[in-house]
Amino acid sequence: MRTMQPCVTIGSYTWAQDRLPNDEFGLRLDELRRAMAKHGWRAVLAYGDVREHAALAYLSNFIPRVRWGMALLPRDGDARLLCAMSTRDLPAMRTLTWIADVRSGMGPEWDKAFDPRFERFADEPAAQFGTLGFDLMAPVLHDAVRRSLGQRFVLQRADDVVAVPPQRKRPRELTLLRASCKLVQDAAQVFAESWRQKSGKPETAALDAERFARSRAAQDVRTLVSLDGGRTLVPYQGRFDKIAGPLVGYVAVKLMGYWADLFVTVDQGEPSPARRRVEAVLDTLIAAMRPGLRAGELHAKAIAALAPWPLHPALSQSVGHGIGLSLHEAPELCAGSDATLVEDGVYTVQLGVADGAAGHVLLSAIVRIRANGAELLARSRGITAP
Amino acid sequence: MTKNARLAEATHYLHDNALDGLIAFSNGLNNFLEANAVYVFSGLRPIGESAVVLDRDGRSTLIVTPPWDAERAAAVSATDDTIGADELADALKNTAHKHRLTGKRMASVGLSLLGQAVAGRIVAALDDPPQPADDLARDLARVRTAEELAAAERANWIAERGYERLLEYARPGLREFELAAELYCFMKQLGAEDNFLLLSASQHNLAVRAAGERILDVGDIILSEITPCYRGQFVQICRTTVIGEPPPAVRKNYAILQDAMAEGLAAAGAGACVAEVTRAINAVFGKSGYADYCRPPYMRVRGHGLGITSDRPGDIVERNERELESGMMFVMHPNQYLPDSGYLMCGESVVVTPSGARALSARPAALDVIAA
Repeated sequence: MRTMQPCVTIGSYTWAQDRLPNDEFGLRLDELRRAMAKHGWRAVLAYGDVREHAALAYLSNFIPRVRWGMALLPRDGDARLLCAMSTRDLPAMRTLTWIADVRSGMGPEWDKAFDPRFERFADEPAAQFGTLGFDLMAPVLHDAVRRSLGQRFVLQRADDVVAVPPQRKRPRELTLLRASCKLVQDAAQVFAESWRQKSGKPETAALDAERFARSRAAQDVRTLVSLDGGRTLVPYQGRFDKIAGPLVGYVAVKLMGYWADLFVTVDQGEPSPARRRVEAVLDTLIAAMRPGLRAGELHAKAIAALAPWPLHPALSQSVGHGIGLSLHEAPELCAGSDATLVEDGVYTVQLGVADGAAGHVLLSAIVRIRANGAELLARSRGITAP
Repeated sequence: MTKNARLAEATHYLHDNALDGLIAFSNGLNNFLEANAVYVFSGLRPIGESAVVLDRDGRSTLIVTPPWDAERAAAVSATDDTIGADELADALKNTAHKHRLTGKRMASVGLSLLGQAVAGRIVAALDDPPQPADDLARDLARVRTAEELAAAERANWIAERGYERLLEYARPGLREFELAAELYCFMKQLGAEDNFLLLSASQHNLAVRAAGERILDVGDIILSEITPCYRGQFVQICRTTVIGEPPPAVRKNYAILQDAMAEGLAAAGAGACVAEVTRAINAVFGKSGYADYCRPPYMRVRGHGLGITSDRPGDIVERNERELESGMMFVMHPNQYLPDSGYLMCGESVVVTPSGARALSARPAALDVIAA
């Protein structure tokens, strides 16, 4: 889900070497270096900003908390990380990455940090660099990169050639995703219990869930709530009004770099007809998920099972997507998609209905695909209020 | 909502410059150091990439992504129309056509802040690329309206309550991120929709940074840059807090920062230029023998403008010759590294008046102590 981007991420950031040791990044880079050799790239430039940084984080563990970061990853030799922070911030930035050479890319530091470094690659005419994440880069920064490179280098878009991060999660990624799924499951429970037992105020319940997750080292927490019983979702409004049920909301947490998210729907009294249908369809989809299944096929199955009700408008015609270092990873589980689910891929499956008579509901689950089926990592739980 | 006066001013700008239309963009990042042109012209803090289209007849349309956010957007936007879209470029093409701007002379604000893929699609969707007028939003919004100033006062009230919470909650054994989480949520409960909250501790700080894993202990000097946003108005207060009795050098040096703040406030009246204010602050450090420390990395700037409305008057530095105007807002912070105390923080959000700058805080920054 798209949510309001905070101006800075305030949570617990560090390079947890016990969870993601150096050799893990060595293996990740080996895959990238094979792609460099295959495509003749002397290096890859991986860019990420405060909002979207999956490729940069996968390769460097660096997550920009404001502005942007960019790693220069050569086929041979040491890597360098450039971040949009002043020189006095660099000691703190160095604790976030395995890359020893971290430089400031702010203002005049740019020329000192990157231009001399490029010279070592300039021993052949028009050496080629691959680029990751450059679509996100503001044109003004892209112009600065172009000026630095001049005629000496040719940039080639690598995003379509090599998937970084890969859809198939590595074992240590799965461990971290399980931890973030556990946290979002617990936060969703706090969300629901707060509304049911204490407040009846969706924003208070969402804030209780956020406080719970942040106090447990979440690096970021995003919430959405419905102030009209589930028909629409809104970001934080600061109203804290008591709203007649059901409670419909959304919570996403990032822990040690990895996102997990869940919808929360709490009915007042008996579950609505829409709730019962969506619960059943969600179970059906989870049971159907296996390696090789086309995303479009999963979407079609969902739409057929929900009929005559259309998918909730807040889901933007999608029944989910990949999740991991980005809250919204490929593939999109949408109509006509030929992308296939892969073993050890992790997906958030999202379903919902907005119908005045049958009820408003949004539910989801996070699923890891195994060779012979699905492993459920988190799921919206059936909680009802009296 | 009544029509935003800034839309009317922008319409005058179009007439004065023989332009047919304006497109103001936002990348959805709501950076606290930059003007957000969509916020300035519509009053909406957008979730995703968005744009306001204005024609020379004064008709305006807000386009937001994702499409499901359109209802919230329409409820607050000052524009005539609001639409939701999956793809900003496609919606923009249709909207430009509806406003009869196809092939006409247009200006843009903030296009260069979008990701280049999105920006490229937008340029391709418009027949002629608009000419950049990137300073327009920040210039039109450089003086806060009465409503904005009231929101800023409230934001500062929240910041001060947040700092009081820090004094209550911080203790040895707590991790920095736990303290930051508590303050963030506490201020959100009071109405802060966003918060550029930097908070870190050391026995000898080099700078402030975002909270980390460090466990607080006796002798730690906690630096906090508390920056809540309330109804689009960011404010900032900078505070220094010691766990246990502060060393004499810390007390001595903090008094220098307070003196520098007083000189800065007195100098920052309407008509003064930013460079003069900076020099007034730096002179206090010079008199104390620290002139050589009035440069990076010992400090960065003596303050700065506050987005997302307008980041004017810009950074408070000696090379900024911009003239201050009554009603401008910025944060003044003579934060400083000094060798015998480390980095210390003392800062207030201020509004410019004819006789000097007025700090929004009820209680000026002081060196505070948490009993060990």
